[in-house]
Amino acid sequence: MSAVVESTSVYLQDFRSRSVDEPAWLAERREAGIQAFEALGLPHRRMEAWRNLKLGLLGQEHFAAADALGAVPMALAPTAALVPEAWRLVFVDGHLSPGHAAVDALPKGVTVRPLREALAQDAELLETHLGRHAELDAHPFAALNSAFWADGALIDVAPGTVLDAPVVLVFLSSESSAHRASYPRVLVRAGESAEFRIAQIHAGPDNLPYFVAPVTEIVAEANSSVQLHHVQEEGDSAYHLGLVHADLARDARLHLHGFNDGGKVGRTDIYVNLAGEGADARLDGLYLVGDGQYADYHTWVRHQSGHCTSQQLFKGVLSGKAESVFDGLIHVHKGAQKTDSQQQNRNLLLSPRALTHSNPRLEIYADDVKCAHGSTVGELDRDALFYLRSRGVGENDARGLLTFAFANEMLQPIGIEALRDHVGQRLAAFMPGDATVKELL
Amino acid sequence: MAMLEIKDLHAAVEGEEILKGINLTINAGEVHAIMGPNGSGKSTLSKVLAGHEGYEVTGGQVLFEGRDLLELAPEERAREGVFLGFQYPVEIPGVANTYFLKAAVNAIRKHRGESEIDAMEFLKLIRDRMKMVKMDEALFKRPVNEGFSGGEKKRNEIFQMAVLEPKLAILDETDSGLDIDALRSVSEGVNALRDPERSFLLITHYQRLLNYIQPDFVHVLVKGQIVKSGGKELAQELEQSGYALFEENAA
Repeated sequence: MSAVVESTSVYLQDFRSRSVDEPAWLAERREAGIQAFEALGLPHRRMEAWRNLKLGLLGQEHFAAADALGAVPMALAPTAALVPEAWRLVFVDGHLSPGHAAVDALPKGVTVRPLREALAQDAELLETHLGRHAELDAHPFAALNSAFWADGALIDVAPGTVLDAPVVLVFLSSESSAHRASYPRVLVRAGESAEFRIAQIHAGPDNLPYFVAPVTEIVAEANSSVQLHHVQEEGDSAYHLGLVHADLARDARLHLHGFNDGGKVGRTDIYVNLAGEGADARLDGLYLVGDGQYADYHTWVRHQSGHCTSQQLFKGVLSGKAESVFDGLIHVHKGAQKTDSQQQNRNLLLSPRALTHSNPRLEIYADDVKCAHGSTVGELDRDALFYLRSRGVGENDARGLLTFAFANEMLQPIGIEALRDHVGQRLAAFMPGDATVKELL
Repeated sequence: MAMLEIKDLHAAVEGEEILKGINLTINAGEVHAIMGPNGSGKSTLSKVLAGHEGYEVTGGQVLFEGRDLLELAPEERAREGVFLGFQYPVEIPGVANTYFLKAAVNAIRKHRGESEIDAMEFLKLIRDRMKMVKMDEALFKRPVNEGFSGGEKKRNEIFQMAVLEPKLAILDETDSGLDIDALRSVSEGVNALRDPERSFLLITHYQRLLNYIQPDFVHVLVKGQIVKSGGKELAQELEQSGYALFEENAA
């Protein structure tokens, strides 16, 4: 137990004991990852961005990287097949499951490939971008990912290419992943004016303490449009601590939609750099947090050029003794005039024991900008409840209808229909009320 | 047996007594109007009858078809056949009128031991009742009352009443703030639903409503008590004299 807090961590010892044969540039970036982790250590209460997170088991025990492909748990077979019409890669315990892959007949100029294969075939692209975007100095787990990733995906879409079907990346944990860590890694490059949708789905079995720390880097070149649906449905004892980083060039558009409905601890940090003029980022998130769960979204939206727009809307529903954090930064750099940036966080507490933290941060260094933010925490509206009940709807069903009403807004922006239905079902399962009412929705 | 019997009803909001001994009996098929100045307790009476938790009954009794109404939860009262048309219908963004009403219809049917309404039957019922209250079909697909005008909200209340077919409908200032066209169609809706088995309690601030809905009885509520009851001619008397006379008598 004490090993974790020694001057060199067990993770460094793991790192040194690996035997790998990789290109020098990659070895250097892995080394930078482990050094960043050594400098940071595991998060603790005195680290401002991490003070609400309780590490629990993850802070006490050593989660070594899973070293082999696990089996898809029976119950998660439907998750592996979510969104039937798609190009798909499935990973279990961080390793590619070849039998689940469906990446045939990709249009010309489009690559969807396991990262390990890409190391050989797309060496130049990887060397240019992999690990050159995500920032490791504030996120110990992203640092660990950089050091330890075993596999993941490369999505590269050539300029002017529009994909009509989405790319689906599924990262599962197996029944044998107890006390194991996996570090999925994703690199996305959108060429100029390319347009496509991605779903990144994480899930695993209940009653199993495992750890997943995914990192996704998105390079959106001029005028491209990327939609990323980031779905976290880990098992109820899992730790999920991930990072998404996007760099947007001139006129590029990113729509990131987060859905957090799993894990004992689930946190995703979203970094977006609006680097070129006219870039637009839309970040949406819905977190459903049950008894004993902790959910956390940290956003870092940086307006680095003028005429960029960003909208953030994160909604949370908490029940039982749940806890959530939304911490959202809007940083407007000097000279980023005509910035238009909005941020909203709304929380619905279904239980008096639930606790939510909402922390908007605005740092504005330009003088001709529009920035708005707001945050609300509330319970179900008493008058609305009475209104529904006065029409004969039972109290629990009325609570369910109003919970649905609160969260429904976050389903509409999901740009992949099969995924929207899936999230709708997860919402129905989470909300109060009996099956008859849920069927209506 | 009377449909509704209110006996010496006392009720308070946040510790302040608003109803100070109401007595009222409504028989099946009757239309009663309660009129009164602002703050007389009209809305409190409607909320107490529908079971709003913010109102505390401090004394008295209410019997609905001989049963103690006050011991029932709001949804149980609705399922037994009590309907409250709200003075300020609540907006519920995100829930379509159709879901909401289907949930309500099914809850009531279940209570009666009937099966769930099938989709075709429901649609037929809805279309029929929408015609009855001249409601725009587009409103039905929209979220409950969201962005509705004042008139549309009140029409929606009458529409819901028409669908749910209550035994006792309490309409709390359904006429307030309506222009004459909306008032007409709301009144026509109510008149169409008049039935020997159905009773109405109209709570209103304005005598004008009673030009369109002819009540059997009119009661004047002042400072939490009914100070005078009579036929529909009482409404005309009020129109001429105002409430001042009754307020003096009450004081």
